[in-house]
Amino acid sequence: MIIRVQNLVKRYGDLLALDHFGLEINEGEIFGLLGPNGSGKTTAINCMLSLLKYDKGTIEIFGKPMTPDAYDTKRNIGVVMQNVAVFNELTVLENIRYFCGLYVSDKTERSELVEQAIEFVGLQDFRKFLPKKLSGGLLRRLNIACGIAHKPKLIFLDEPTVAVDPQSRNNILEGIQRLNREGATIVYTSHYMEEVEQICSRISIIDKGKTLATGTKDELKSMIKTGETMSVEIFALTDEDIEAVQGLPYVTKVTYDNNRLSVHCSGGKHNLIRLLDKLKERDISFGRVFSEPPTLNDVFLEITGKELRD
Amino acid sequence: MFLFHYTNRLKCLLRDKETVFWTLLFPILLASLFNIAFGSITSATETFSPVSTAVIDNRAYQNNIPFKEALKSVSSGDQPLLKVSVLSREEAEQKLKKGEISGVITVSDSISLRVLNTGINQSLLKSFLDEYLQTEKTVNAIIKSNPSAIKDGLLSSLADRRSYTDEISFSGAEPDTMLAYFYALLAMTCLYGSFWGLRNVTDIQADLSPLGARRSVSPTHKLTSIVSDQLAALTLHFTEILITLCYLGFVLGVDFGERGVLVVLTGFVGSVTGISFGTFIGSVIRKNEKMKYAILNGVSLAMSFLAGLMFVDMKYIIAKNVPLLSYINPAALVADAFYSLNIYESLTRFYLNIGILCVISVLLSAASYMLVRREKYASI
Repeated sequence: MIIRVQNLVKRYGDLLALDHFGLEINEGEIFGLLGPNGSGKTTAINCMLSLLKYDKGTIEIFGKPMTPDAYDTKRNIGVVMQNVAVFNELTVLENIRYFCGLYVSDKTERSELVEQAIEFVGLQDFRKFLPKKLSGGLLRRLNIACGIAHKPKLIFLDEPTVAVDPQSRNNILEGIQRLNREGATIVYTSHYMEEVEQICSRISIIDKGKTLATGTKDELKSMIKTGETMSVEIFALTDEDIEAVQGLPYVTKVTYDNNRLSVHCSGGKHNLIRLLDKLKERDISFGRVFSEPPTLNDVFLEITGKELRD
Repeated sequence: MFLFHYTNRLKCLLRDKETVFWTLLFPILLASLFNIAFGSITSATETFSPVSTAVIDNRAYQNNIPFKEALKSVSSGDQPLLKVSVLSREEAEQKLKKGEISGVITVSDSISLRVLNTGINQSLLKSFLDEYLQTEKTVNAIIKSNPSAIKDGLLSSLADRRSYTDEISFSGAEPDTMLAYFYALLAMTCLYGSFWGLRNVTDIQADLSPLGARRSVSPTHKLTSIVSDQLAALTLHFTEILITLCYLGFVLGVDFGERGVLVVLTGFVGSVTGISFGTFIGSVIRKNEKMKYAILNGVSLAMSFLAGLMFVDMKYIIAKNVPLLSYINPAALVADAFYSLNIYESLTRFYLNIGILCVISVLLSAASYMLVRREKYASI
């Protein structure tokens, strides 16, 4: 167990930011903390990093209680903050060298690690650039390089893709997976469910400072009633046709709007085949057909009654 | 590790162009402006040229030995008052009309002055003649009542203008009101070190900046970060003070007396006080960064104003009416330390100023450390 958080309570005055929050993260995982803005993700990370005081609970990292002076523990942790945290007066190379130097005192080793970090984030052509000369995406990459240059065993990435263009976002996500393959355990927070779904091996969904559910994405999706959603392009459909589709097994909801039939299911197998058979049986001609599995947003929606991005 | 932090911090601060401008270039620019402004005042008094005048060459003049001697005495020496030409009436009138001379003196039964314009030169000529005539009248009155006075050296004693008070600078420097402005400017420069102190606090506190948060999660002891950052700021700001002192002393010719080491010590202590002040403000005031800089700038200027930066008499007004303020205002203490070094032989007042500055620095630093040393925050 790399991280164990139990019964964490954190209050900001009257606001309960973390409500008996808990999680356990195993070595080698990419663990996602998924929740809307203000759900307590960053607060949880800051408590784990011993930056924030908390009212109750215990935090252990690498099997030891986490405290501000746990320097041996901190030496093995890499942090990529939500806000870019670099020196504006230092170049890309100097920034990475500085942050790496906070962990690695040997100059030769440090130089090698810095070069690897630069290559890792693809900033080879920007070594001598000052941060203000970098685009948002490149700046985020610098922020990541500063956090991971010392090759930590555990890396906290707090919304590293906020305000990043799609190309840089993909680079960042691929990089995170590569870090994981190289042996690092990753704690990744985001309110972008697609990202979390794409890279995380286990996910905790949190809201209002509480852990609502934890598991792999399949485990989370299997926890809810919502199954796949099928959409079929149909140019003409009678009320009787809609009623017939409604009568199929596992169908929970049917809508027909703008020549598109949407059928929501609550699980079951071969729903699409059954639907297409029914349409054929009723001699209904159709165009394109789509089938979407449930998303983490569906999971969040079913648990909390609101959209993840609300 | 300490050296690593120190050198990186020094590099960062050195490249902070905006703060370098305010802490180094701005004082130098202001000093240059002061110099230009004061320079025109000084040159008006120092570049005095003798007043050209003519005396009509006639028998009465040739026979008036005392007047001839008086003219000779004021038109010779290092700083002659008059430049006298003995001319015929026609020549003198011609030169007067051309403006080549300021006045024409005619000796007859009395002594008269003819001028065509009014101005400083004409006033000087009139003052000289008035004084001469008054002295002549006094001598005649003394001789009438005591004829033996001439034998006793009356005439030579009249010519001898003696001052019964001597202005002596034990430090070797000439007392000069203008210096007070430059000393107040140096005091302001010292207080501007507060910008470096403020930046240090901001960059180290997790609840003040993302950079502070990022540094707080690294395996570096906070005291190491604080001390290395403050030392880097002190190195840079003290160097700025030295550059400013050199500029004032060697380029602008501002007189600091002959106690060079103590002048540098004053700059050093002033720098420490300035940085401590900024660190304290940064630790105490929980506003945004721009607001903090505005507060710091305002307070520094107010303190410098009270130390006589904009109006030199303010220093004396404060010392007279609110003396306590002079003892707790770092700008006034720094300015007075420079002044004491220049003016007083005794170093008691200087050491009192330096002592109070040290106490203020220690108090501010201790209070800041109490606020900054925490490693966990209620909110970020």
